[in-house]
Amino acid sequence: MKNILLTLTVILASLPVLADDNQKITDHHAQHEMNHGEMNHGEMNHDEMNHDEMNHGEMNHGEMNHDEMNHGPEHNHGSHEHPTENAKEDVMTMSVPAITTTDDISAALANGGAPVVVDVLGVVCDFCAVAMNKIFGKREEVSALYVDLDKKTLSLVVNKGASLSDEDIETLAKRAGYRIAAIRRNAEALGG
Amino acid sequence: MTLTAWRMWAGVLGILLSASAVARPVSYTGGWTLIQTANRASTAGLLHYSLSHNVSVGVRHEWQRDDDVTLTVIQPTLLAKRWYGQNYQANVYLTGGLGTATDRSAAGLGSDTASFVGVMTDWETRTLFVSYEARFLEQGKLGNHSMHAARVGWAPYTGDTGELHTWLMLEVDHRKHFDNKTTVTPLLRFFKGPALFEAGYNVTDSAPMLNFTYRF
Repeated sequence: MKNILLTLTVILASLPVLADDNQKITDHHAQHEMNHGEMNHGEMNHDEMNHDEMNHGEMNHGEMNHDEMNHGPEHNHGSHEHPTENAKEDVMTMSVPAITTTDDISAALANGGAPVVVDVLGVVCDFCAVAMNKIFGKREEVSALYVDLDKKTLSLVVNKGASLSDEDIETLAKRAGYRIAAIRRNAEALGG
Repeated sequence: MTLTAWRMWAGVLGILLSASAVARPVSYTGGWTLIQTANRASTAGLLHYSLSHNVSVGVRHEWQRDDDVTLTVIQPTLLAKRWYGQNYQANVYLTGGLGTATDRSAAGLGSDTASFVGVMTDWETRTLFVSYEARFLEQGKLGNHSMHAARVGWAPYTGDTGELHTWLMLEVDHRKHFDNKTTVTPLLRFFKGPALFEAGYNVTDSAPMLNFTYRF
């Protein structure tokens, strides 16, 4: 019995916990490659900036180095905590995934349906997807849907002229056994 | 069971909950589920209907091969608690059964009332899985049995919706009425859409494990 417990402990300790999420965070930074070193935040005055003339596409984020930045005389890095990797995850999860397009969803949108994206909590396997497909798929208002396990979202297209309130969506998700974190509609659901 | 033994199992349950996975004996409202299991102790089938997202009622038929006893019970299950996370789900289920046990052996001991209580708990991400379950069965003159089983699992890749999901798992079970009380079963779980299939081999008791679940 002692050997079994020891084996279980070793296996658990060696498993790559939340490996996917860490990978996503790494990928996010790789995409931006910012070097804040050349920025002098202490001298910045937001009110004097001319945002109209800014072109984000021409900025060189790759040469920025946050450690060398001048955040201003009142900024003391030692006096506060910086976000940990987990905290970064929280911030990044605030980014809003757009609707997942499948053939059915594209066809429903082309027919004038309204896009809705629902962030769902607790969706980790295909049984979760089956549950939501069954519950939402029975509704006449819904012309197409897709549960995206990667994005942890439920993408819906509501029939033209029909409506499905936030309360309805919340109730249906609960019947499927899940909870929702956010609902986005129309342009926001399309990523606009 | 002595008070000390109860405390020990409560402690084990507490540890699993705090770390804390996927039996999923309750489905979505109005959903039907067929669960078939075959392990070193028994072959069983459970068909259940979910009255709500947290209550299901089913019929269970089980053949305890060692004693050659069959059990037919009505089995309600309550999803007592579910934790929802962005990257995980954890559940505690309470279950029970009431029905009849019948001796099919040459001994011809007849039938008696059977009842059981059980607890199942699981914690799951898309790549990790931990679960624990226990069942205490009373069958009158046909004997009482207890069972505990804990599992850990790891998915080598994360499958998206509708793709084949594969898990490597290890189960440790304890059955007091068996010669080999504690045994180990490595198994593979395959999961796609509404169907789940598990195949393993009990390396301690040299017995296959075959489980199948289908949601409709």
